[in-house]
Amino acid sequence: MTPTISVTQLGRTYKDHAALADVTLDIAPNAITGLLGRNGAGKSTLMRIIAAQEFASSGTVRVLGEDPMENDRILRRITFVREDQIFPDFKVRHVIRAASWFHPNWSEELAQTLLADFELPPNRPMKKLSRGMRSAVGIVIGLAARAEVTLLDEPYAGLDAVARQIFYDRLLADYVEHPRTVLLSTHLIDEVADLLEHVVMIDHGRILIDAPADTVRGQAATIGGPADAVERFVAGRPILHRRTMASVSSVVVGGGLLDQDYRQARDLHLTVQPLSLQELIVHTSETTTEARKSA
Amino acid sequence: MRNETTVLDDGTPLFLQIGAQLADDIADGTLAEGDRVPSSNEFAAFYRINPATAAKGINVLIDDGLLEKRRGIGMFVASGARERLLAERRQRFAQQYIEPMLAEAKRLDMDVELLVSLLHDTSKRNGDGDR
Amino acid sequence: MNTYLKVARYHLVNRVQYTLLPLGWLAFAFAVCVVIFTIVDPSTKNGHVGALASIFFIFLALGVQSVVQLLPFGFALGLSRRTYYLGTVLLVTGLSVTYGLLITIMQEIERATGGWGGHLSFFRVPYILNGAWYLTWLTAFMGLLFFFLLGMWCGLIYRRWNLIGVFGFAATVITVALAGALSITWTHTWSGFDHFFRALSATGLTGMIAALALVLLTGGAGTMRRVTV
Repeated sequence: MTPTISVTQLGRTYKDHAALADVTLDIAPNAITGLLGRNGAGKSTLMRIIAAQEFASSGTVRVLGEDPMENDRILRRITFVREDQIFPDFKVRHVIRAASWFHPNWSEELAQTLLADFELPPNRPMKKLSRGMRSAVGIVIGLAARAEVTLLDEPYAGLDAVARQIFYDRLLADYVEHPRTVLLSTHLIDEVADLLEHVVMIDHGRILIDAPADTVRGQAATIGGPADAVERFVAGRPILHRRTMASVSSVVVGGGLLDQDYRQARDLHLTVQPLSLQELIVHTSETTTEARKSA
Repeated sequence: MRNETTVLDDGTPLFLQIGAQLADDIADGTLAEGDRVPSSNEFAAFYRINPATAAKGINVLIDDGLLEKRRGIGMFVASGARERLLAERRQRFAQQYIEPMLAEAKRLDMDVELLVSLLHDTSKRNGDGDR
Repeated sequence: MNTYLKVARYHLVNRVQYTLLPLGWLAFAFAVCVVIFTIVDPSTKNGHVGALASIFFIFLALGVQSVVQLLPFGFALGLSRRTYYLGTVLLVTGLSVTYGLLITIMQEIERATGGWGGHLSFFRVPYILNGAWYLTWLTAFMGLLFFFLLGMWCGLIYRRWNLIGVFGFAATVITVALAGALSITWTHTWSGFDHFFRALSATGLTGMIAALALVLLTGGAGTMRRVTV
């Protein structure tokens, strides 16, 4: 199965730092992949390069089999919603109308539905919209385009939690009806965790995790209880983090837990709290930072 | 069916949880044999999860013989599914609850007869209890 | 519909900017001149005003806007830099032809009415916009195109290198002009230079503007190639 997006040893350096370093990544077709990472990790840079809006310093990008840079044929099949999109001095309906001309799979019906969902006034100038509403316009375009390759870079800037949920619901509903390759970057991991089929984590310009969501989820758990019982349980397992207070300790173990492990923990009167996707990402980032500091 | 207040446990893979949810419904009779099961897309939209995940969960049940696919129509609960499920779960019940219970009983110095009479007493009490 | 046409359409979505605004300003400036000329005694034979220059500066501003304001969303629409550039050039060519024609028509009317009945020379500019209608059209077209392309290039320079870049560009142009002037002085060829320009017809001047416009076109394209938003 040819990946929809194929990035090989991609690098992007600016005068004083490397935004991306040696990024090699394949994004599978017709799946929702999450691009996770901290602010400044390189998510936006990576997506901008994939969308051919930014130039790579080294390495290659292939989207739908070709280099997207200055490639009208491929660019037509991509839609990129970025969080800091600058809109012209148009009214909302002008922006939507212009977008409809350039996307072959455009659905006007969906666009109108979404405009109503987000309560966007069609005749208001873009300049007069709040940040959240501007983001909503971007989302309307990104979803109504039904582009084969849909790149969403933290498209919800300024959107309140209710609007964000509308976005997730509409994304999922339309994705189910019209499958496409979706790459969604976010730092609100808990909110989208269930939507993701595949997870990519980027930190300081490098890929740390690239795995199916199910594999990543439940990979680690926090074992808590009396210190000696905890130690007995975690013996022989990869220990990711350890915290002790008096005779009580809390240890994060990796490697995943099976049914019998849960039973064993219960026998030892220990609490088992699996790490959520967000906690796992945070943890991975922290350990990498520590490793870098001590290196 | 999972409602909004149920929290998906983050430990086991999502697709297994979906599968377990479906199995629960079959076991307690909510989904009878021959009933149509929602499609993976319907699942995805309802639970707000990725459709591939939902599909995986359904496939597990198909592999276990609890669901059968009828081409062009959809997914249905297989005949004998409930029995098979209950049998398997009773075995797991023994493993999950009875074995630790016996271990705990031993720790508390209770022999099997004492344990059985305790079971009877508790059951009678709960049976006579208010609803 | 051809993509370049779509790009032109994109620019024109907000009709006001490319149509009403320039026309409106032109109408306003014209009205002001007419009013002044009815107030002031038009005994002065020479009724030339430089107000027509404003349309050219409007095109300069439009050129800047085409990059600064409209390019970022153009990228979002999946347009390559080349397509956007060429589509915009297509648009401005059409606009320049149209506005040039308008100026030509108004000039003929002005001539026919003897300066709008008051010796007002709004649409006639001595030397360059004063000849046959087809020459007026050509010169006006070239001039409008030139200023738009200049605005576009400045906009692109601004996008890539910010205000410092724009100042650098202006400084470079001035330096080149200065160097040219110096070299002419040192080679004592001012008289030749002067002679050349005196002999240059309006058509010749238009040709030179066209050549400069070509420079702007290529320069802009070069800057466009690596522009990001």
